[in-house]
Amino acid sequence: MRRGDANYTVPVAGIAFFTLAVLYLHDRQRQDGWMPALVAASVVGGALALLLSVAWFKYREFERKKWRMLPSSLAAGLLTTALLRHWTPAILAETAMYILLMLVPAFAVAFYRQRQHALLTARLRDEAERERMARELAEAQLRLLRAQIEPHFLFNTLGAVQQLAVHGAPRAAELTGNLIDFLRASMGEIRSDSVSLADEFGLVDAYLKVMQARLGERLRFSLRLPDVLGDTRIPSMIVLTLVENAIKHGIEPALRGGEVDVEAALEDGQLAIRVCDSGMGLGAPSDVTPEGGADHGATGLENIRRRLRLAYDDNARLTLHDADPGLVAKLCIPFRSV
Amino acid sequence: MTAGPTLLLAEDEPLMRERLLEMLPAVWPEARVVLVAENGNDAWDGFLALEPSVAILDIRMPGLSGLEVAARIGGRAHVVFVTAYDQHAVEAFDAGAVDYLLKPVQAERLLRAVERLRTRLASRPVDMAGIVRQLQAALPMPRPAPVKWLKAVVGRQIRLIDVDDVLFFQSDTKYTRVVLRDGEALVRMPLKDLLGGLDADRFWQVHRSTVVNVAAIVAAERLDAERLQLLLRGSTEKPVVSRAFTHLFRV
Repeated sequence: MRRGDANYTVPVAGIAFFTLAVLYLHDRQRQDGWMPALVAASVVGGALALLLSVAWFKYREFERKKWRMLPSSLAAGLLTTALLRHWTPAILAETAMYILLMLVPAFAVAFYRQRQHALLTARLRDEAERERMARELAEAQLRLLRAQIEPHFLFNTLGAVQQLAVHGAPRAAELTGNLIDFLRASMGEIRSDSVSLADEFGLVDAYLKVMQARLGERLRFSLRLPDVLGDTRIPSMIVLTLVENAIKHGIEPALRGGEVDVEAALEDGQLAIRVCDSGMGLGAPSDVTPEGGADHGATGLENIRRRLRLAYDDNARLTLHDADPGLVAKLCIPFRSV
Repeated sequence: MTAGPTLLLAEDEPLMRERLLEMLPAVWPEARVVLVAENGNDAWDGFLALEPSVAILDIRMPGLSGLEVAARIGGRAHVVFVTAYDQHAVEAFDAGAVDYLLKPVQAERLLRAVERLRTRLASRPVDMAGIVRQLQAALPMPRPAPVKWLKAVVGRQIRLIDVDDVLFFQSDTKYTRVVLRDGEALVRMPLKDLLGGLDADRFWQVHRSTVVNVAAIVAAERLDAERLQLLLRGSTEKPVVSRAFTHLFRV
């Protein structure tokens, strides 16, 4: 006999036992008076308790096997009656009624427990999902942090500051100021999930000014943000990552440099942010990760897509396409007016 | 007066370039910077024109990378790389016993590099080609896919030319003359900028201003003590192989 079967032979045996007790109760009450009847009643109670507790703990088997358990319980009870008493329909019908009276609450208990279990499972799944999202968000922020404090960027910028400072050029103070703006804004943004478009554009502006001081005439840029969109909130650092990609993969590798244009607009009730560069375009050599895989800023883009999913489910879109010359990165996200 | 060492300096960020240019005379007064390049293409082209004895090359530049320029220079100059901080690069350079400077370059580090260069200049430069291959394996760099088609002006038409149909490329001031079996065309791009997009195994540079399709070469013959000339299948012109490239035809 398999283990699973044992679990439902218990209630079936319980029913047989119960039937015995009921029969005994009948006789005693009629023949001997109340004391033995009370003893018999507690046996009935015990059987009922046994059945209910099995239903309580083994609710899953109860639920699953109720259509098999019902006939076998009835059969066990009726057989017991038939063997010990008379084989008359009236008595059998009475026994069946007792058995059903016993089984119905047991099934009800099992059903209730099953429901509770399902609810609990759903809640745990929800919690696990929320925890996973929170973890992904934390990881995304960690990646952002790592990406920001890129030694290349800091060292090269400090080198430029040093060179300007040697000659006491006013541009040294200006570049330092932009670097400070950039660092302060990015530190702030890294810690928060979302940011106003005005703040994000401020961060991008500081970054592009730093890069312009370093690249000289090889970089030109423009930012366009309509006033009405300034308070719109978007996930932090996303526009900056697109602009960094435009510099790294578009402008820096281009012999003559180029232009970066960043623009936000409302289109069909959606917020559209475009980062255009006139640099190398998608056909350009892709960057390569230290591990040797091709990148082309793919890690940054993957990171953006993950964060968009966290914030907007599937309602946000990031697309890249070649322009002549260069590349356009377009971000479409649901517009929520503030 | 003996001529001191001549330097090529290639760096794409203007302030970094300025900084190196200002520091070099102080730590190395006898050296003379003969060429300052803003990208890899100019660095290589300028190297061929001036043949400096030392090349200081930024690794990441537009056009040819510092590593590619070094590979082309081969054993004809002493090379020092300049790189932004990168753990992988530093490890690779140390492993390859290559001289390098970390950006932003600090005076005492430059002085040390110059002292090493002074001793290195007493002997022949090591051939960089093999070392660069090792470095490239350790430091994968962006590499443009070889160009397949060229847009060229022929009379009043724009023609698309399959690079495989080109017999040779010849520099023509700001443009490049493309010689084909059935005529010629003009590409609006200087040869030095076209070079990086050509598969170096199938198109050999044989002169500062000439790149030849290897498949078209029939023979090389001696022109004078230093130079060769090439006989090509499909053209009566005989491109000249300059001294810097005769090693390609050494048997």
